[in-house]
Amino acid sequence: MTSLLIERPLPHGGRLVERVVRDKEVAKKMIKGCPTYDIKPTLHFETGVPVRNVYREIMSICYGFFSPVEGSMTQAEVERVLKERRLLNDWIFPFPLVFDISKEDYKKLGVTKGDRLVLNLKGKPFAILDIEEIWEIDDPERFAHRVFGTPEDNPEVVRQRFDKKHPGWVIYRSLQPIVLAGKYTIINEPKFRPPFDRFWYPPRKCREKFDELGWRTAIAHQTRNVPHVGHEFLMKNAAYTGDIEPCHGILVNAIIGVKRRGDYPDETIVEAQEAVSTAGYIKPERRFVSICLWDMRYGNPLESLLHAIIRQNMGCTHHMFGRDHAAVGEYYDMWATQILWTKGIPSFGFDKSPIDIPYGVQIRPQNMREFAYCPVCKEMAYSENCGHKREGISGSLLRGMIAEGVQPPSVIMRPEVYKVVVKWWKHFGYPFCNEKYVRDKERDLEVELEDL
Amino acid sequence: MAHYILVLLDDKRMEKIKGSPVEKNIKSMFGGELKCIEVNVPDELSQKILKTFDTARIDARGAITDLPVAFMREFFNQIAEKKSIGPEVIEATLEKADQIKELAAKESEYLPPPDIEV
Repeated sequence: MTSLLIERPLPHGGRLVERVVRDKEVAKKMIKGCPTYDIKPTLHFETGVPVRNVYREIMSICYGFFSPVEGSMTQAEVERVLKERRLLNDWIFPFPLVFDISKEDYKKLGVTKGDRLVLNLKGKPFAILDIEEIWEIDDPERFAHRVFGTPEDNPEVVRQRFDKKHPGWVIYRSLQPIVLAGKYTIINEPKFRPPFDRFWYPPRKCREKFDELGWRTAIAHQTRNVPHVGHEFLMKNAAYTGDIEPCHGILVNAIIGVKRRGDYPDETIVEAQEAVSTAGYIKPERRFVSICLWDMRYGNPLESLLHAIIRQNMGCTHHMFGRDHAAVGEYYDMWATQILWTKGIPSFGFDKSPIDIPYGVQIRPQNMREFAYCPVCKEMAYSENCGHKREGISGSLLRGMIAEGVQPPSVIMRPEVYKVVVKWWKHFGYPFCNEKYVRDKERDLEVELEDL
Repeated sequence: MAHYILVLLDDKRMEKIKGSPVEKNIKSMFGGELKCIEVNVPDELSQKILKTFDTARIDARGAITDLPVAFMREFFNQIAEKKSIGPEVIEATLEKADQIKELAAKESEYLPPPDIEV
């Protein structure tokens, strides 16, 4: 075999974190006599609207999506993440992850270092947190600015000071002050509700699925959107990279979490992505859809690092990155993610690309420019190929069209994808996430739990 | 970056601006499958729109998007009435912000889905 072949990378940190107890009797023993706490959503610091649910982080940590992270971070670890974007074991990681509670709840609980806390979800035991340290966030606004950077401290990529219009900044600004740090373990596996259940491929299962499909190389596609034809062409063309042949497969990984009004419902996103394959535009043998639970921080380059870690853990060899990756507004340079993967961002702790530094990631970035419709070529054309004036499509253009009752032309949205949009529109009475959807989703979440 | 609002035109809307000076601003998109007008929005007014309507955002192309459907309808009505795509149509639409918000509140609960087989 040629030495040019690329092998599937090890998980970030060297091994997959799996902190799930499947034996109910063992689980019952583990929680006997322990204090309990009902997981609450993080509410917007001003409006009180849910902006995050820590259960999603617990799921992603315990099933290994965020390997090598094993729990809620200690103060020293958070400090290191904020200064150098590294965990205390040196592996790079972009965001602080904490289990935060209010001072009132902390007083009521009366827990101390060394205690085991049972975390209930929807009234049922879900996970445990073995408390190693209790610390306090003294200034959540400063904390939020440190997470995302500022134009003064990170002039390479931050273009505008973050504020309450940025949903990720709001998450950190809205954290409760007391952090219980320690490892999580799931002791009662939640069951995903349809349609999410068929897209649940935690890292170990995903790697097994790659084996089953015969994929040595796979390129990841990040999504939080219904695909338009530009996305489809991005996927198809990015997948031509690989080693001596194109990537064997495309892993679509949808981030499922708290929604904002105007987004598409998560049910629509996963099924619309699936429709691209079931309708044969990229055949199912070469592409499948999966999910990861996470309340998007919209941290552009920082978010891209998290995406790389998640998809390396899932077994991907490559990750495609486009313009404005995981971005909202104009807070970051539109190419910030590609800058990170090309030469690093020193002010965030990366003087080189995250693939070229010790304890960095191994997944290979595939930086892509843009696809847009060219009326001369009469196809979705790549900006670096086509010399004509092209017409860009964006998710928001399509949202506007759909809201106004105009079916998008098939050159920009496949009819099968549009049918999925209308299917869930009929179900929810609305094509996008409205206040009711957002409220119901955060009440019902994506999972159900059985009694332990 | 200069911002703009994209107004989509179906047959009914095309009829309403037929023969007016606005007609010369009609653009054809995606190989002629879609007709539209791009209305430039001065910075001061784009900030006002973003402040007034909390769902509004600026996308990667510089377009102001995610405005209520009621805003887009009124915006087109103003274009058709004033036969212009100047700042006065934006100002006139913003003057009706309270009325638009009222309609948008209902709209944000329910929008009739298209009658297609799924």
